[in-house]
Amino acid sequence: MSYLLAVASTDGSVIDTTFGAAQSFRIYEAEGTRFEFRGIREIPLEEGGGDAGSACGPGSGCGHGGGGGCGATSGKVEHLSDVRAILATKVGFQAQKQLEKKAISTFDLEADVDEALKKITAYYDRVDRHESLRGIR
Amino acid sequence: MAKILDGQRYKCSLAAMQSVQAIPGAIPVLHSGPGCAAKLSDTIGSSGHYSPNIFPCTSLNEKDVVFGGTRKLRTTIENAMKVLDADLYIVLTGCIPEIVGDDSVSVVDEFREAGKPVILAETAGFRGNSYTGYEQVLDAITDQYLEPAPEGEREKGLVNIFADVPYQDLFWLGNYEQLAKLVSLLGLTPNVIFGYEGGTDRVRDIPKAEFNLLVSPWVGIEPMERMEKRLGIPFLHWPNLPVGAFETSKFLRALGEYAGVPSDKVESVIADQEGYYYYLIERYADLFLETRVMAKQFTVSADAQYSLALTKFLVNDLSLNPATQFVVDDTPKKYRESVAAEFSNLNHGIKAPVEFETDSWKISQAIRAHDYHGYPLVLGSYWEKEVTEEMYGHYLNISWPVQDKVVMDESYVGYQGGIKVIEDIYSVAVQRWN
Repeated sequence: MSYLLAVASTDGSVIDTTFGAAQSFRIYEAEGTRFEFRGIREIPLEEGGGDAGSACGPGSGCGHGGGGGCGATSGKVEHLSDVRAILATKVGFQAQKQLEKKAISTFDLEADVDEALKKITAYYDRVDRHESLRGIR
Repeated sequence: MAKILDGQRYKCSLAAMQSVQAIPGAIPVLHSGPGCAAKLSDTIGSSGHYSPNIFPCTSLNEKDVVFGGTRKLRTTIENAMKVLDADLYIVLTGCIPEIVGDDSVSVVDEFREAGKPVILAETAGFRGNSYTGYEQVLDAITDQYLEPAPEGEREKGLVNIFADVPYQDLFWLGNYEQLAKLVSLLGLTPNVIFGYEGGTDRVRDIPKAEFNLLVSPWVGIEPMERMEKRLGIPFLHWPNLPVGAFETSKFLRALGEYAGVPSDKVESVIADQEGYYYYLIERYADLFLETRVMAKQFTVSADAQYSLALTKFLVNDLSLNPATQFVVDDTPKKYRESVAAEFSNLNHGIKAPVEFETDSWKISQAIRAHDYHGYPLVLGSYWEKEVTEEMYGHYLNISWPVQDKVVMDESYVGYQGGIKVIEDIYSVAVQRWN
């Protein structure tokens, strides 16, 4: 069973963008421990591409647990609703909550894209096959 | 086939955090998932300057599992040292980082090499239980924090005392205090690292001692051997916690002989203590002889330490008959024979049958099935309360889990300890029939 991963990276080599700032995501399809680049998914500007910080301040205005009210973030989330996990340098609280509702995991880290994908696919592979995580590092 | 374990008797080996908590000035730093400290702390007696609620913890989540938690461990230790005033930080790794293979050793080594007081014990829960966790803390201190004392700096008469597992044993604080008192009665200088008189200064004094005193059936043997090897400290292993006159006098004589205390001094201390002890026993002879509701047979269901200590006291000092005794601490196989042999080492050639059993259901069944020739006396954990009440027996909660008692610094050790056992048992007996 394959699944999709979204990575916020401008150059495909390092994860270097926050979720909020990302205007596009590199999509990878993974199966077992193999993964392949499938293309860049642009987030249309009117649906929340660009800095989500401009539409709503941190935790203010529309209250916690955003929901549909907070336009910028939820648009982006909708656009990524078919991925299993998102990798970015930072994922804001509001976005995390909305992604959680769609059972999408987030990983916030600065790392080499290939390294990170190798580790995530290794992890998900074991989890999916109900195998122990012993020695995974 | 999967088995259901009924009624746990100890916690996972991360409960080693309680042994660290018992050393004033030391604090455990947990490298584990969130919530371990809360789950492993007791409801009674766990507060303090460093309570489990403030133990620094890396609170690992999925991201740390996938990408590694060592960075988090490093920052947690660094920041803990900034905001806390402890002078010994003992990092304890939990299940998660040990399964996935985090290199906690390297992180802690960085701090040690920079001269910081940080050491590591790899106490993943699945490795063992409260008893093995305690041993691991002692081993970590021996290997990583102490150096052998230089020539000429050993202090004659200084004795390190190791006995109970703090917090796992209800009476740990009082017991250590009483053991220290017994040691000083012989003119020796006790050094205890746990409790009020303990602390990181006492830990640093360990290498100066003349010898180690281990008062315990099996817990602590391996750390003593390690200290002997690395720090050159010999040890006297006394395999029974002395409760009451018979055992305490035996203990004092053995200790006096080992430490080279003149025997007339030892005998005069014993005569003094026994004088008062038997004065009390004499005055209450009518209680012992006339309380018809007192049980004739008893069962102790506890760790090896209390099971053995109370069996010896009840048989030797109070002349009760032993039914089957249960040792519930999952004693390692290599020590079972020697522990079982002690149960046959009683006055009048009496041998107490003993079983090593951790399943509370089996223990309850065994108690139910036995004919106690009257009301049973059961000293055990809270799991034994129900079956004892069913049989109209006398019940005393003395081993973990403890829900029926609050004990702060009371103790069952020594001459006064024996008196306290008598008070507790007979209080139960007289309460039930008034």
